[in-house]
Amino acid sequence: MTSPLLQVRNMSHDFGGLRAVSDYNLEMGSGQIRGLIGPNGAGKTTVFNLIAGMYKPSEGEIFLEGVKIDGLPPHLIAARGVGRTFQNLLLWRHMTVLDHVKMARYSKIRYGLFGAFFGTPGRNREEAEIEEMAVSLLERMGIRHLADQVVLNLPYGAQRRVEIARALATEPRILLLDEPTAGMNPEELAQIMEIIRRVHGEFGLSILLIEHRMKVVMELCTTIQTLDFGSVIAEGTPEEIQNNPRVIDAYLGREGAV
Amino acid sequence: MVYFLQNLVNALQWGSFYALIALGYSMVYSILMLFNFAHGDIFMVGAYIGFGVSTALIALASMGVVAMPNWLILVMTILFSMFLTSFVGVIVERVAYRPLRNAPRASAAITGLMIGIILETGNLALMGARRISFPSLIATATYDIGGVFVTNKKIMIVVVSLLLALALHQFVRRTKWGMAIRAMAFDSAVVPLMGVPLNRMIALTFAVGSALAAAAGILFGIAYPVLDPYMGILFGWKAFVAAILGGRGSVMGATLAGFLLGFTEIFVAMIFPSTLRDLIAYSIILLILTFRPHGFFGEPYSARLRL
Amino acid sequence: MIRKIIASYSRVPLLGWLLGALAAVALERLAGAPIANFLGLQKIPVLFGLSDMIKSPVRIPNVIGYLLIVYAIPAAVVPRICISPANGIAALLLRYPMAISAAVHLGLLYAILHVWSGISDYRVLVLRLTLIAVMLTLSLNVVNGYMGEFSCSHPGFMALGAYCASVLTIGLFGDPEFFGVASLPEPLGPFLFPAVLILGGLLASVGALFVAVPSFRTRGDYLAIISLAFLFIVKSLIENLEFVHGSRGLSDQPDWAGLPTVFIWTILCIWSINNFVRSTIGKALNAVRDNEMAADAMTVDTRRTKMAAFLFAAFWAGIAGGLFAHVMRYVNPGNFGIQNLAEVLAMVYFGGLNSVYGSIVGAVSISLLGEALRPLEIFKWIIIPLLLILVMIFRPTGLIAFRDLDVANLLKPKRQPGGEA
Repeated sequence: MTSPLLQVRNMSHDFGGLRAVSDYNLEMGSGQIRGLIGPNGAGKTTVFNLIAGMYKPSEGEIFLEGVKIDGLPPHLIAARGVGRTFQNLLLWRHMTVLDHVKMARYSKIRYGLFGAFFGTPGRNREEAEIEEMAVSLLERMGIRHLADQVVLNLPYGAQRRVEIARALATEPRILLLDEPTAGMNPEELAQIMEIIRRVHGEFGLSILLIEHRMKVVMELCTTIQTLDFGSVIAEGTPEEIQNNPRVIDAYLGREGAV
Repeated sequence: MVYFLQNLVNALQWGSFYALIALGYSMVYSILMLFNFAHGDIFMVGAYIGFGVSTALIALASMGVVAMPNWLILVMTILFSMFLTSFVGVIVERVAYRPLRNAPRASAAITGLMIGIILETGNLALMGARRISFPSLIATATYDIGGVFVTNKKIMIVVVSLLLALALHQFVRRTKWGMAIRAMAFDSAVVPLMGVPLNRMIALTFAVGSALAAAAGILFGIAYPVLDPYMGILFGWKAFVAAILGGRGSVMGATLAGFLLGFTEIFVAMIFPSTLRDLIAYSIILLILTFRPHGFFGEPYSARLRL
Repeated sequence: MIRKIIASYSRVPLLGWLLGALAAVALERLAGAPIANFLGLQKIPVLFGLSDMIKSPVRIPNVIGYLLIVYAIPAAVVPRICISPANGIAALLLRYPMAISAAVHLGLLYAILHVWSGISDYRVLVLRLTLIAVMLTLSLNVVNGYMGEFSCSHPGFMALGAYCASVLTIGLFGDPEFFGVASLPEPLGPFLFPAVLILGGLLASVGALFVAVPSFRTRGDYLAIISLAFLFIVKSLIENLEFVHGSRGLSDQPDWAGLPTVFIWTILCIWSINNFVRSTIGKALNAVRDNEMAADAMTVDTRRTKMAAFLFAAFWAGIAGGLFAHVMRYVNPGNFGIQNLAEVLAMVYFGGLNSVYGSIVGAVSISLLGEALRPLEIFKWIIIPLLLILVMIFRPTGLIAFRDLDVANLLKPKRQPGGEA
């Protein structure tokens, strides 16, 4: 039996007096696509932030490939293989598309400050390798022609692809996608879903997906967790979740109350 | 002990200047997330305007045009100068900061710095390099309280400062303009949507801050009658530090921090040779900021002076 | 017609422009005085005639005439006629390692500066101070532009470098009473000077730690305040150290900061900083500036990035300070206060943030303008701030912001119209 890729055990987190996440558990093997759904404010992005290391969990533990990662600084967790995108597209306004993807190679760089200041042959060689890798990644995302554009100027759909390409450049073992289809029209939606499938297939990644659109979650994910007020209220296949009364209650109940 | 109390009195006076100037910085920062580097020079402008107003009033009084006892001249000087200087502040905002409302805040900060330099140089050009003496409006009366010598001037300065700070506090808490200013401190984007005229409120904030700085300038002129165009640099930058120490958006915080800075400087000078004053005072402040960067009251400054 | 002429210049390689400038300064050296006299000027306008125009406005046409004949015409004609040979040589040089081409261009540049400044000592002084200003501006741009912070501590770093270098050179080579140690032999001096400067730079970096460690732990505008406190502390520290003569300042530093020395250090500064900001490690600064959380998530060690950049910037400010002390041969704490801060901030924001070109342009413009406007005395400090305010209003990030300096591109021959090789 292979050890799971990502294992989260009894994770809880408090913000001041508020318990944002309560006793969250997750076991993901390699090559899986799983979904995380729930009403707004349920704590889904917080779970991502905890796994990726933006916060250290108040309680619980996180293991990546058997190694404990909770408490490590986020850049180290990312270097170990946890890639992510952000709900609000946290791109770097003044940088080009190519630079975004190159930047994600930071942890793989060996040349250090000396090479950076003095332009050693080793650094030049590595920079060339990084550029080559970045260009090929952009090619696979279908945005190679935008390489020298400053991201500020791009349409939303292209920006999303840049974000995904950037996350992929970190060579993740698991990819946390936070509402990748937010704000997209049906055509862009289909394209992004296709990209997610390809990324899963070609790169062999595990994917944990936060989504609001049921169609996306149902089609892409093999298992889904539903979060409400920080706790997992249901876990199962898309069919099971769709018919789960607690899930329906969590979504509709909220509307009903309003 | 007497020595200590004597210095306490001096520290209260010294701190009053910092407090009044810090309040202006703090108010502008709260709503615009911007450090108005011209503010220290507005303090200087206020002092000079006070000089002008008081000299004019004294001349008028001595010519018999109006009959005015000295204390009345003083009060009118303060009020009138505060009023005039508030216009200077509003003009600065209109000319330098409003065009840069959507620009990176660092650019606006630099603009403020340049305006300050222009104010200093302009003053130098107009009045020449000679030092100006603030007219003496109060006969100094010294009271001996158990060995501690307190002048009436010192008492007046501290009292006036505290009154002004209190007035500001009431203004911010009780009036509708104050409420608008506090709202802008939280979220300036939403406020115009609520029907509050944003530009007018910002102008008001600058006006009030400048008026307070002017008051500080005149009080300073009364305590230390020699004015020079660069006096703003001395106080301005230090009061800026006090504003940060006080925490964002807090009248009480800025006031307390101003007094704290005054206390620190005076007491450091009391214990150590006076040349070490800046060195030790700022090292202390550096330490405070290292361990309690959020300042004392108000919210932590949470955005960066960024592009 | 005019457009065609301008378009034809797009085929001029850098080498061509350098040759044109060299021709201009050579003409000035050889025939400047007679030409000036012929045009009714008593002597050669010392700083592009700006001060002369201000001092006697009636002579403005004469000065413009001089500028046209001596500077503009050679600089315009020579590159144009040399297009083919210049492009040929540029291409030839690039067949060897790029360092060769760079060395040739730099040598030419130095020759231009050397010949130009040979006319008067004043020019040499202004040139050296301008080069030092370039170093300061560029190093501050790393923090304020590339990293997007607002640092007020650069004069403090400069002071640390200036005083450290001065203490070492005076103590070891100047005044035997200073350290109580007999002087080292004179000839050794210029060879140890680089080491002395580097020590000054390192001291500045250590000072930078005192600013970086408290500020980088918290988010917010704290760097501005903490760096300001640092500035006051350093200034006060120096004023109180009897060892370095306090407010009276240190003087009689050995005369080792000549034009070649300052030039070489400036080139090293530009080169190393440019290398840094073009590398992926350096671009991490931009990532940290534009969104620190995303940078963290993309494996960037944000803390190391900020620290390294800040200490590196401080290092160069320290070197600039050491050179400054040895050019002026006198330093006092007053050199490193708020006035200095305002000047260097003005140069950074005027020239352009996040740009090597911008820093060079900003430093040169403000320095030369500052010198040229001297006859106006205090009005200089109304014109320069006004100019900066105008730039801030119309181009808030500076004149030439966010422009990369690509050395390889710069050295290429330009065969096709439009500037392509």
